Amino acid sequence: MIDVISISLVLNIASSGLILIGMYIIFTQKNLIKIVIGLGLADTGVNVLLVSTGYIDGNTAPIFSNAALTVSSMVDPVPQALVLTSIVIGFGVSALALALIIKLFEKAGTLDTSKIRGLKW
Amino acid sequence: MVNPILLIIIPLGAAFLISTVAGTLKNSTKYIAFLALLGNVWISISLLPQVMKHPINVIISGIKPPLGINLLVGPMGTIFSIIISVAGILVLLYSFKYIEGEGQSKYYTLFLLLITGSQGMILTGDVFNLFVFFEILAISSYILVGYAGDRNGFEAAIKYLILGSVGSIFILISVALIYQETGTLNMADLAGKFASVATGKKMMIMLFFITGMGVEAAIFPLNSWLPDAHSSAPSSISAVLSGFVIEVALIVIIKFVYSIFVMTEILHYLCLVGVITLLVGEFAAFNQGNIKRVLAYSSIGQIGLILFAMSLNSEAGLSAGIMQVVNHTASKSILFLVAGYMIKMTGSYQFKDYKGIAKKMPVSSFLFVLGVLSLIGVPPFLGFFSKLNIIIAALAAGNVFNTVMVFLVLLGTVIESVYFLKILQIFYIGEPVREGIKEAPFTAVFPIALFAVVILLGFLVLPEINMYAGSAAAELFTKIQMAQVF
Repeated sequence: MIDVISISLVLNIASSGLILIGMYIIFTQKNLIKIVIGLGLADTGVNVLLVSTGYIDGNTAPIFSNAALTVSSMVDPVPQALVLTSIVIGFGVSALALALIIKLFEKAGTLDTSKIRGLKW
Repeated sequence: MVNPILLIIIPLGAAFLISTVAGTLKNSTKYIAFLALLGNVWISISLLPQVMKHPINVIISGIKPPLGINLLVGPMGTIFSIIISVAGILVLLYSFKYIEGEGQSKYYTLFLLLITGSQGMILTGDVFNLFVFFEILAISSYILVGYAGDRNGFEAAIKYLILGSVGSIFILISVALIYQETGTLNMADLAGKFASVATGKKMMIMLFFITGMGVEAAIFPLNSWLPDAHSSAPSSISAVLSGFVIEVALIVIIKFVYSIFVMTEILHYLCLVGVITLLVGEFAAFNQGNIKRVLAYSSIGQIGLILFAMSLNSEAGLSAGIMQVVNHTASKSILFLVAGYMIKMTGSYQFKDYKGIAKKMPVSSFLFVLGVLSLIGVPPFLGFFSKLNIIIAALAAGNVFNTVMVFLVLLGTVIESVYFLKILQIFYIGEPVREGIKEAPFTAVFPIALFAVVILLGFLVLPEINMYAGSAAAELFTKIQMAQVF
């Protein structure tokens, strides 16, 4: 059963699915919190895509252990380092977005982008 | 030799220093920021003679590329470093009086982070490192747009944040695809390996990258955030955002197209997009009543012009584009900085309320006139020579497409001059309605005057400017070699 569907394919489908769902939410929703959720989903999708680029079937995580003593038995560590950075950046951006949304809610009294309209949306 | 990495380390270190000592030093932290940027200006200028001979390669923490991260500092990087540091320090000087109230150290911390991000984006030789610096730049500018703490500021900041994050997601997708296809993130290594990637994949990586960076560079149709963000931010920040942030993103796109991806076949589309951006910006600016929105839309127009010049697929076009960046940085900074004090004095964003303001603010108004003249391209200002060079470079190809494009660019310039002259007319005719309007303080007028010196006396050093812009263009025009980074 495992041979039929490769893990890379599953990861690719999952990542593109998450990115598309996230983008759909960002461009169709009116609620600012939902837009931030969409951003989070799309971010996760990209992280999955990034980590899947270094995946090698059958190899283990690149941490110091008996299973990963040789280079040929572990997966590529570079994408894992990249994805850590990207997760932290994504967290920072979401936190900042939510903080700004709280401030805007205090001033405008609504989260609906079609009702805020101080500027042109 | 001064190590170019100091250009990134000094503002970054100073930013953290400021946030540590902010409790004790209160508002005096601005002098730390000033000293840090003074160091940046000195380092970037002292690097210029060296990089003209050969580019400097800095290997970080002893791991050689393609495995480690490196900085590749050529003439292009140094010229942009100088633009960023000089514009940064002058705007900082302006902020001394302009930014009021408690908690100013936050402003200076973020300002230095913005400088760090821009310097890093220009100098880095690693694709993922570029993404990290892009995020530093983007996050600090989101916060600075909302710094004033009013409703419009927050709204513009959120809008900018959402679109900017979508852009950064696109960039990250392109980085992931680059790593998947070539197995490298080093720019020089990537330039060597990219040719062997399948054409479809190449196109995909390229489009994701240009779309992502294009959001920050405000290329049409990705620029809907710009008029709000640039008009709602404090004027000093608008000057920086229009002055070099959008140009930095644009130059990164150009660098990737010419010297890393080497995909010159898409330049025709970029040319067309540039002219559309120019026309959209100028036509939209025409109907605005808010002075900062006029300037923001005019920035869109100018970025379109720079994109047009730089995607002409010739060294002359690139060099003219770099000259136009210098001109736009200086003249748009003048306009935003003057507008900042006019808004403060009159309490209105609408320029119809500025009737006869030149009688009360003669120096500021005169500097505004100089900025406008250079932006339109009236001789003998720097803007005339850069626009002339762009048109010469465009017509040198001698095909119908370019001739039509030049016609449209000139049409854009005409529209630009009409709406700017309308504003100048309001400044100089009539009597001021409101009492208590007085000249901007010296700390504001002095940096604005220095910007004016650049555009006014630029023609005296025209051969030097041409030489430096020319070698930067030559650097952009050639593919980065792996031998350069060892």
